[in-house]
Amino acid sequence: MTRNGTIYWDPYDPALAVDPYPLYARLREEAPLYYNEQHDFYAVSRHSDVQHGLADWGTYSSARSDILEIIQADIALPPGTLIFEDPPVHDIHRRLLARVFTPRRISTLEPRVRAFCRRALEPVTGAGRFDLVEAVGAELPMRVIGMLLGIPEADQPAIRDRTDETLGTEDGGKINHEDILSTDAFKDYIEWRKRHPSDDLMTELMTTEFEDEHGVSRTLTDDEVLTYCSVVAGAGNETTGRLIGWFGALMARYPEARRALAADPSLIPNAIEEVLRFEPTGPFTGRYVTKDVELYNRTVPAGSAILFIQAAANRDPRRFDDPDRFDIHRVTQHMSFGVGAHYCLGAALARLEGRIAAEEILERFPGWDVDWDHAELAQTSTVRGWKTLPLVIEGAR
Amino acid sequence: MTQRWKVAVDKRVCVRTGLCAASAPEEFELDEGGQGHARSETLPASELVLEVAESCPIEAISVRDADTEERLFPPES
Repeated sequence: MTRNGTIYWDPYDPALAVDPYPLYARLREEAPLYYNEQHDFYAVSRHSDVQHGLADWGTYSSARSDILEIIQADIALPPGTLIFEDPPVHDIHRRLLARVFTPRRISTLEPRVRAFCRRALEPVTGAGRFDLVEAVGAELPMRVIGMLLGIPEADQPAIRDRTDETLGTEDGGKINHEDILSTDAFKDYIEWRKRHPSDDLMTELMTTEFEDEHGVSRTLTDDEVLTYCSVVAGAGNETTGRLIGWFGALMARYPEARRALAADPSLIPNAIEEVLRFEPTGPFTGRYVTKDVELYNRTVPAGSAILFIQAAANRDPRRFDDPDRFDIHRVTQHMSFGVGAHYCLGAALARLEGRIAAEEILERFPGWDVDWDHAELAQTSTVRGWKTLPLVIEGAR
Repeated sequence: MTQRWKVAVDKRVCVRTGLCAASAPEEFELDEGGQGHARSETLPASELVLEVAESCPIEAISVRDADTEERLFPPES
């Protein structure tokens, strides 16, 4: 990880998937402003720098996306991507979705999310061993997002596989920018949905009147609706699936925490926050620097790409006592959902899915270990988490 | 008579989305740190203010009737 005593961090290095934290700690302490020559980007890792920078959209823009290789590709991005926009256009677009994703509206989904979760766990109930990612992580978020968008159940797996494939990178690979802008997965539905409106997000997006950035009152174009749907599917599937995987892994590693949660499920919401702090599924976020900035006595020139390492900020000892200790009782305000204009739109949904998955898993399986030799951890250029997590159930035979 | 509301933003939980000021610029503004607050001690009751409070992704905004102190959002659970 280091060259001649200097720190070297390559965000595309697959070897870092296993334990990036010692290197993040060195960045935070020794190179709070880091520059990587090979990939030509800057990075900050201290909590206060990440918090301040992510909230400052005027200096650190999302208009070229939040993924390093896409920022550097400097390509035209379509309107309606939200994640790849700045205020005020971003806020206009976000407000269209914000009313659907309010904590209150999301909480009304609880019975349906729980039903999906129970259905996902049914085939493995009584099993001595099963892959948590396959059974729940890849299943539950797909069903929930599919339900929200109004995708027929039979077609939901294909949609998930397509969006995951778009965002997936292997062995330090980079995302193809033509793939990430593809909306093909939803094209078939929009025409059909126009003729068969229903109580779902796609219908709502097609019919909601809003005032656009030119002051024109209108509804979204088909292309914009497709972009919105692709963004929601892309942002809501793999991230939440990885959260559920991290829950399974951390509960095996810290059995006393697992026993505490099984005995008192009211502790679960706070435990989910600690899982999010300790192992954020999105470890870092990219921005484009719009004007020269002075950081730690160096000038970061306008036109640079910069990464904000939330996974490092979440363990900054300036902000959290004993940050490398996993503590489900900790009151935490982590950076894992970001901060500022791009604070995760789906945060309430991810929390709901995480809590319900935890409750249902703990109720069925109060104890488990992980077959670590057959578990597989992966880091793509956007997420880090378990691809495979075989649980070995205690007391099963 | 026009009902007035006391609208408060909890600075301990506000994550600086700026959505309140973007959605209702006449009612909300952001401070230097990017956290939102109501422009005056009380605001005229409106659907918009309630919608802004409900749309805050971490429910940092609370709304009370200025006369009766009755909490309108988030509703008492």
